[in-house]
Amino acid sequence: MVSLSRSEKKQLLAKEPLFDDFTCGLRAMGAQPKGIVKESREVMAIGRKFAEEVVRPYARELDLKMTEDHDFLPMDFVKKANEWGLYTMFIPKIFGGRGYNFSALGYFMEEIASVCLSMGNLVAVHYLGVTMLVSSWNMRLMNKILREVAEGERTGRPCLLTLAMTEPDAGTDAQNTEFMNTGSLRCHAKKVDGGYVVNGTKIFISCGHLSTWHMVHAYTDIDRAADNTVMLAVKTGTQGFSFGKTENKMGQKGSIASELIFNNCFVPDDQVCIDNRQMTGLKRSYKETNAQIFAYIWGASRAGVGYFGTAAARGAYEHALRFASEQTVDGKRLINHAWCQSMLAQMYTNVAVSRVSCLEGFHANAMHGLWKLMNLKVVYYMVKYTPAIVLDKIFIWLSEKPFLTWLFRKICFDFQADEEINRVDGWGSLIKVAGTDAALKNCQMALEIMGQAGIRHDQGAEKILRDSKLLQIYEGTNQVNRLNVFKRLISKSVSSADVFSASNI
Amino acid sequence: MIANNNKELKLLGQAATEFARKELAPGREENDKFPFGPFFDSVLEKAFSLDFFHCILPETYGGIGQGISALCIVLDNICREDSSLGGIILTTCAAHEILLAAGSDELLKNLTEQSKNVADFLVAAPLFTDPSDIVPLVKAETNGDRYLLSGAQEYLVLGGIAGHALIPATIGGSNGFSFFLINLKADGIETSKPVYSLGLHACPAVDLSLRNVPARIVGKAGEGALYFDKMAARLSVVSAAMALGIMKGSFKEAIDYAQKRSQGGREIFKWSEVRMMLAGMAIDIKNAELTVSRACQAIDGNEPEWEADSIATAIKIQDMACNLTTDGIQVMGGAGYMKDFGQEKRFRDAKNIQALFGMTPRKKLKYLENII
Repeated sequence: MVSLSRSEKKQLLAKEPLFDDFTCGLRAMGAQPKGIVKESREVMAIGRKFAEEVVRPYARELDLKMTEDHDFLPMDFVKKANEWGLYTMFIPKIFGGRGYNFSALGYFMEEIASVCLSMGNLVAVHYLGVTMLVSSWNMRLMNKILREVAEGERTGRPCLLTLAMTEPDAGTDAQNTEFMNTGSLRCHAKKVDGGYVVNGTKIFISCGHLSTWHMVHAYTDIDRAADNTVMLAVKTGTQGFSFGKTENKMGQKGSIASELIFNNCFVPDDQVCIDNRQMTGLKRSYKETNAQIFAYIWGASRAGVGYFGTAAARGAYEHALRFASEQTVDGKRLINHAWCQSMLAQMYTNVAVSRVSCLEGFHANAMHGLWKLMNLKVVYYMVKYTPAIVLDKIFIWLSEKPFLTWLFRKICFDFQADEEINRVDGWGSLIKVAGTDAALKNCQMALEIMGQAGIRHDQGAEKILRDSKLLQIYEGTNQVNRLNVFKRLISKSVSSADVFSASNI
Repeated sequence: MIANNNKELKLLGQAATEFARKELAPGREENDKFPFGPFFDSVLEKAFSLDFFHCILPETYGGIGQGISALCIVLDNICREDSSLGGIILTTCAAHEILLAAGSDELLKNLTEQSKNVADFLVAAPLFTDPSDIVPLVKAETNGDRYLLSGAQEYLVLGGIAGHALIPATIGGSNGFSFFLINLKADGIETSKPVYSLGLHACPAVDLSLRNVPARIVGKAGEGALYFDKMAARLSVVSAAMALGIMKGSFKEAIDYAQKRSQGGREIFKWSEVRMMLAGMAIDIKNAELTVSRACQAIDGNEPEWEADSIATAIKIQDMACNLTTDGIQVMGGAGYMKDFGQEKRFRDAKNIQALFGMTPRKKLKYLENII
């Protein structure tokens, strides 16, 4: 029997692939609070109920309505989701939310998005905005804005958040610090007394017209944007801020994509999520900190898109299964043809593999990323079992203290190791690609099985194909995400590797 | 589609290219709005006047009898810009081919010679199902020398705009199905609104309900499958040519965009990952073009096993078109997903075309049965 010394084991496990890089789920078994399992069951059940009662009856109708008039705003659905409490479900209790753990979000979204990706987005994009806000670790602003979301639920006036990053000539340029300085970013923020004046345009902003708060990326020096990024919270109705057109898309029509126009829009200092002044004192450079914020955002949000891919793959599979169970082909039920069983089994496998990889990505976030702090057992159980009224009193007072933001930033920026950033961001890209490619694959297979029925709108499958294609594009194209997998998970072991540079693109 | 040194084919190809550029490309987005926007009647009339519908119709019936190569060249060029018109032409040609296969000379003559306008000339047919796979829901009963049809016909392509339709139906307790020709203005027919579909929006289909509708039988009773298979064998390569046209259109729009759009301060065309995608698209197109051309040659030359050439070509190239149009959108990122460009329509149309003549897996199995 071989016996290894502690140092030998350490040395062996430090070789690629790193043990810690692909065992987030395994390590989470002991490290994460068990209460998350119960919460996951709960949110999945809520998701199923909402999907059956609200989403399924409206899915094709909304798609047709948007086809006839792509300027239609599905506010009725947003109000319904607000009534069901979906916009506060995953907001921590310390900010007035319902406090379900972020680790359970994927299960919840799969239930809704497997029925309709558009309506899935009308719920989930709000949490993309929340993710951006949280990634700045500005506790005062988080408390202010997230409590408005909770208030919006109480009053029946939905308060949603967006993330506004993409510009007319800059998609990838806006998402990677490597491209920002040489890219085509135009959204300028000029520092003036008491705040910033913003000029520029953002496009493809999901749910823009339906939302109240917009987390906007602007740049004080557009030629050196990576070192001079300002993240601002801009409220609908602010002078100098207006909505432009909505895009006419192939799919995900109900989830509108908005143009946001900033024309000498003044944003006061107290609505700055983070800028260079606030980054001063952190151990990393401005550019590195911006890259770290991106990693927080993309690690979480691309994991969400991966789950959307899983959901779409499942939706396509379910349509194909239903069709095969009902249709007779060549004298017997389609479901009883072995070739069809094999195709359905492959589709089921695609869903399962995609879901498992998404789960690993969510564990990466829980162990090393955005919701690491909330998932520490002591924090989790303290927040869970402390009455909301007590939490409110303590936290509303605490959030106004600059010390709290300083402390959170110290922990979440300075104490996050480079390996953790790589792991979270790398896994985000990995599961985004895996999940969304599985979605396209299953949609193609479903339509092949269904033939004529597959191309009919009233049968549902073609809509999933149209909707799914967007998954391979937003949150960074799958091509960029593959390069990011190389950068974050592969290149670190190859000293000569050069990623996202002029020499290799 | 390679015309080699055939001057007539080259001229036909040029005419189709010119027509597609001038008449189809400018209105592509608007025409695709159907049924939520107007139908492109005037474009259809112009295509009709240019004899694009008459390519393979023998001269005896008023056609120009040019053979499959001619039709493929026309549809390849048309579908680069908008494949809905291609779908309309293919459907009518398919109906003509079924009538020819059945030897229904009189019916075909009546249809082609007595048509006063394009609508009269068009013949609707359920082209997205192989009636041998799924038992027709329409039943035929004899009434002296004529038949009466009753039942439901799903997804009748051109059902809302054509003057006549070919309907597969079963007669009494007999095995197999037969084709029947009906006048779509006859009493007893209820037509649904156009069925909103994934692609080919301006080549609409409707669901039909029939109650004692007078019909003329096409060919012999119970031999519908034979006629359908003959038609599908000859026209499968035409559906491949449509897919090829879509692939060419997708590639052109992608490469044009990649040379204009920058990321990170460089044209995306210079990104090696994007170049690799474009290279893959170009190689697929070249392969598809060679295969379609060869299959056309086999059909027009009546070579042995031309049926297998045609069907295998269609199955492979339709699959390639689905993958290539996915990349065509991907190269353009968010812009490719928007209706301002042609890529998203090509993606949808390619998948629609793959469903022509029946379910893809069944087409594959049938192909194997026919070659062993």
